[in-house]
Amino acid sequence: MLLELKNVTIPTLDQRCVIVNNISFGVKEGSIHAIIGPNGSGKSTLAYTIMGLDSYKISNGKIYFEGKDITNLSLTERAKLGITLAWQEPARIEGLTVKKYISLGIKDGGNVKERVIEALNTVNLEPELYLNRNIDESLSGGERKRIELAATIAMRPRLIILDEPDSGLDMIVIEDFLNIFEKIKNLNMTILLITHREDIGMVADYGTLLWRGDALMTDEFPRVMVKYCAKAGLKEFCKRALFKNGGKCFDDDYIDRIFKEEGIS
Amino acid sequence: MTENNYPKAILQSLEDYNIDIRDFLPGHGGGAKLLLDFNKIKGVEQVDGIILKGREIKNGIVADIVIKEGTKIDDSVHLCFGVNKETGIQEIFPRIIAEDNTDVKVQAHCSFPNANGLVHKMFGHFYIGKNCNFTYSETHYHGENSGAFVAPVAYMYVGENSVFENNFTLTRGTPGTVKILIDIYAMKNSTIRSTIKAYGKSKKDSIRIRDAVYLEGENARSLIKMKAAARDGGEVLMYGITEGNAPHCNGHVECSEIVLGKGSICRARPFIRATDPTSSVSHEASLGRFPQKWLDEIMAKGLTEEEATEILIQAMLREE
Repeated sequence: MLLELKNVTIPTLDQRCVIVNNISFGVKEGSIHAIIGPNGSGKSTLAYTIMGLDSYKISNGKIYFEGKDITNLSLTERAKLGITLAWQEPARIEGLTVKKYISLGIKDGGNVKERVIEALNTVNLEPELYLNRNIDESLSGGERKRIELAATIAMRPRLIILDEPDSGLDMIVIEDFLNIFEKIKNLNMTILLITHREDIGMVADYGTLLWRGDALMTDEFPRVMVKYCAKAGLKEFCKRALFKNGGKCFDDDYIDRIFKEEGIS
Repeated sequence: MTENNYPKAILQSLEDYNIDIRDFLPGHGGGAKLLLDFNKIKGVEQVDGIILKGREIKNGIVADIVIKEGTKIDDSVHLCFGVNKETGIQEIFPRIIAEDNTDVKVQAHCSFPNANGLVHKMFGHFYIGKNCNFTYSETHYHGENSGAFVAPVAYMYVGENSVFENNFTLTRGTPGTVKILIDIYAMKNSTIRSTIKAYGKSKKDSIRIRDAVYLEGENARSLIKMKAAARDGGEVLMYGITEGNAPHCNGHVECSEIVLGKGSICRARPFIRATDPTSSVSHEASLGRFPQKWLDEIMAKGLTEEEATEILIQAMLREE
């Protein structure tokens, strides 16, 4: 496993409540692994905790990256190991150019300009139009998200955490983003995809269902999705929505059985 | 004139501000030029439509620049007030007149690479006529030693329907003690944009800047942007002043300052005053540190908090 969480519990900052409760799962190298769950289930908290943000500390458990215990490592130390995060709402910073921002994470002595251009091409942005622009309010939400992705790709990390990459984007753009995820995967980077949408999640190989702070299931993504639908009571949606590679993921009997296990007829 | 005829260290700091050194050397490129080495005039170059004359006086020079009516020139007027010595007094008296219907940019650079107790004073008078588009940009570099004592004072009159842009940048090297006073008088339908950027990096640095715009003409507009950072004992105080003294005039003052490290002080004092009931003047000020989220986003690229902060300071002081 590239990333492994063992019995991880994440409390609120004041330690009064538990947001994520004693969860364990692993992320295979080279895969796209989705964390799926409804709003408030602790997905983003989990993303920030894995990244090592100061305000998100675990009270119990361990996090391993390539077998190494990284539980007590700082955000910067984790990034240097090859973990990075593309934010749900990346900041707009006046005066910081796209070129400078994307180049920040290139520390391996590679040709910075080439790498920045390559990263912009990967996210389908024309370099000559964007290199000298500022990452400020003049960019649309979709453009800023692509630049965030480009900045993470240019780092050539081992693991990219994508926190709700679909939020605030229209359908046409989302289709394009799904293609970008495939490109990233082909660059031998592993993706931990945080989402609450089944159409985004279907690009994933594996998934973990987070439900009210508990990790209910880790498996191949379509199976996790059936469980998610069962927990949410969305049987008809489940039968209509779960398609992958042009075909239906499961026959209706399988879906009926899983729903029955959840006590839903 | 070549770079060999002039102390290279004076011009070198221009590169840190992404300005081409050659633009300042007479005989290279377009645009009028005035080049000073301490209190000696080393080169003057005029172009059609611009009269540029310098006269040496005790401890400095008087520089007269007249942009003749109707002159519109793309190439900037370049003024370099350089001192290569550690100490001494340099006093500059620039008198700039832009006659009506002119469109000109002036780029001034004050460079004191070896300053160690050097005194630089400026007493500037600017008269911008009607229907002008005038930009005055001044960059400073006071070396890496103990900086200089720098005290420029400028009075600027901006005529009807004119657009005046004033940019002052002191973000490289060790500033030392800096006291700047700028008064801008805006007439009917004029627009003023004044941007001040300063960076105090140590206990050696004490920067006080007072930038005032007086909206004296109907429908005059102004925006003062003051951006500063103080770290490791540096001190920056910025007064952004706007007075609305005419019907329907509109002004805004914006101060953003970042303070880092023990003993550093940032102070912002926006002062606004309205004497006409139809005028509108506002201000906003923010002091402190950068939002944690900004730092986190950069640190997730493998940078330390200190490195991330420096990136953000440079971005803030670069912002146009």
